[in-house]
Amino acid sequence: MFRNNSNITRFIALSLVIGLLSFGITIVSSLGINAVAQDKKKIAVVTDVGGRGDLSFNDMGFKGADEAAAEFGVELQVAQPASEADYLPNVRNLARTGDYEVIIGVGFLLTDAIETAAKQFPDQNFALIDAVVDQPNVLNFVFQEQQSSALVGALAAMTAAHYDYSKVGIVLGIEIPPLWKFEAGYRFGIKWGLDYYEKVTGEKANVDLLWTYTGTFSDVAKGKSSANAQISQGAGLVYNVAGPLGLGILEAVKDKLNQQGKEAGPPFMIGVDANQDYMGNGNKVLASGMKRVDRASYIAVKRAVEGNFEGGTEVLGLDDQGVGMSRYNQLVDFIQFGLKGDQIKEEDVDTIKDNWLEMREEIPHFVWTGVNELENLIVSGSLTPPAPSTEEEMKDVRKEYP
Amino acid sequence: MLTRIYEQVKPILNSFLAGLIGLAVGAIIMAIWGYAPFGAYDALFTAIFGSFYGFSSTLARATPLILTGLTFAIGVRGGIFNIGAEGQVFMGALAAISVSLLSLPSGIHVLVAIIAGAMAGAIWSLPPSFLKITRGVHEVISTIMLNWVALYFGMYAVVEWLGDPQRAEKSISAATTSRLPIMVSGTSLTYALFVSLAFSLLIFFLLWRTTLGFELRVVGQNPAAANYAGIKENYSINSTFILGGLAAGVAGALQIIGHPPTYALYSDLSTVRNLGFDGIGVALIGRNHPIGVIFAAVFFAGLNVGARTMQITAGVPLEMVRIIQGVIIIALAAPELIELSNQLLPAVRNWINEVKAS
Repeated sequence: MFRNNSNITRFIALSLVIGLLSFGITIVSSLGINAVAQDKKKIAVVTDVGGRGDLSFNDMGFKGADEAAAEFGVELQVAQPASEADYLPNVRNLARTGDYEVIIGVGFLLTDAIETAAKQFPDQNFALIDAVVDQPNVLNFVFQEQQSSALVGALAAMTAAHYDYSKVGIVLGIEIPPLWKFEAGYRFGIKWGLDYYEKVTGEKANVDLLWTYTGTFSDVAKGKSSANAQISQGAGLVYNVAGPLGLGILEAVKDKLNQQGKEAGPPFMIGVDANQDYMGNGNKVLASGMKRVDRASYIAVKRAVEGNFEGGTEVLGLDDQGVGMSRYNQLVDFIQFGLKGDQIKEEDVDTIKDNWLEMREEIPHFVWTGVNELENLIVSGSLTPPAPSTEEEMKDVRKEYP
Repeated sequence: MLTRIYEQVKPILNSFLAGLIGLAVGAIIMAIWGYAPFGAYDALFTAIFGSFYGFSSTLARATPLILTGLTFAIGVRGGIFNIGAEGQVFMGALAAISVSLLSLPSGIHVLVAIIAGAMAGAIWSLPPSFLKITRGVHEVISTIMLNWVALYFGMYAVVEWLGDPQRAEKSISAATTSRLPIMVSGTSLTYALFVSLAFSLLIFFLLWRTTLGFELRVVGQNPAAANYAGIKENYSINSTFILGGLAAGVAGALQIIGHPPTYALYSDLSTVRNLGFDGIGVALIGRNHPIGVIFAAVFFAGLNVGARTMQITAGVPLEMVRIIQGVIIIALAAPELIELSNQLLPAVRNWINEVKAS
């Protein structure tokens, strides 16, 4: 690099100048920083590699903790990992300080990290969302996805009947036991929705289910081809139970709409876990079966701050708003996430909101009344969507709700 | 005499100055965005050197980086721009998981897993080697492409063959008999560190104390001279690829059998992603020398470990921390990068001309 001495001299001089400059700036800037009074209680959220701005688990986990922090006057610390190798160290670093009332692991990717740290720091409270670790100082949160799936199932069936579609679809990821709850709830909801439709309109609608396990949670193209197949067989709505494959399902919906020269559905996609209603300009995803991660982190903070935190597993359902069908205020939340994460442009916000309102306006009123009625029936306990945990139970569900 | 000493310490001095410049530029960037550089750097260095816990965490992170750094360093020494560590790490990791399906006594199982990883890495380095020797395909192109093949093959393998039936997000974990024990309890540092160090020393010995190493370096510095001296260029190139593949493969294996708490691959391979690319930075900072690579990897790992605490204690967001890291790494790598591009650009230009001509 250094061909001769004058180059070296220049190099050293340059670095000295830069060094002095930065030293000066450092002094000046550090003078401006005042030590914050540390008497506030503290809580921490540990995200997975998706981090803030993922428009899903991490954003929701943060939102719940953030709201709770504001409500209870505690300070919130977020630790984001740069890679998977940071999961456990992040949890450990927070636990070692002993300063945090609770450390919340957002999402199942943190399972092993929380478990290891919980053993190492038995006096520290931990919370884990969407997975279960059997440790006395860990509060786990799991969700009754069959309930939210039942709501969107009923919505899908009634909407399909209203628009004279003969099918509704569901595209799932790998066939693992957690996904059975989605499938079973959806089947249950479709049946209920069709009965309700007949009761209200006096017409018997024939809407059948098309279901596909794609065997992947990452191959977006498979999401598109599966949804394409279902739509071309007459499906008016397709429920996404395969995470990122939703992007492919949305593509399939858009293709169909383009063929018909339309902007807004039907056909529609139905979103999952997060609020995906904003996708495709707000008029292609009719609703989302939401898993309210924000509720879980809110509850964890509340309990820790109020001093009644206990390890164990909390099953969140419709009754405590742990799951649900997407509503307008959640759309607004997610638009905020999207703006922060640069996934949604400022100028599109109004279009998305208007499109969404218009889309839901188009659906007959009785359909929404029906969904609300089903929700009330499930909350009151008079109806219980099936939640199979074995293959046999799943087979029985498929037989009962074809 | 003085000039001789100067010649010896010059690279170290250069790196030191480069590091200072990097830190200074980083400080300026932080100050401009309103973060306190002193507090941030304090958090960074305390995290690395401030405690036994911190230093152990740094060494744990450095373990795979030493090996992927070696892959690139060996390549440069042998005249090859080997970007293939990334894919070779994936293959090594897959092999280590696969052999954990066997039931073997613990000592042997560890050894089998490491050897399987090394072999898988080496095998994955063969196609670019053959393509280069027989068809003259530039290794930058072939290794980058094979990285993608390895990535998607790895994801497929984790989902289809090696998936954990209980948890869809990860592969099965390495058998307990094939795991390397934790060295410092309460940290992630395992005896994998010694495997990495031993491998570095082995490569150092091989490059500077054996005929193969000598030939390899001559081919790297001047293929024409090597040819004139009767050194078989193709043999040497092939050896360079294989040695690099072995190193990366071991890195992949260690990231499974010596990486608590999961001892498994996540299905998006995030457990092993970017180790190969980070290895390029490590090698450049370490001046492509097996011993330099060790120190560079520790430094590089220190930046990673410090990033975790900079967020928590200094309130600098992760994105900013990564910008600072990038600046420091570029500054440190600059001297070697300039030399390397001088070496590489004509080769690439020639290659492009050849392709155009044919």
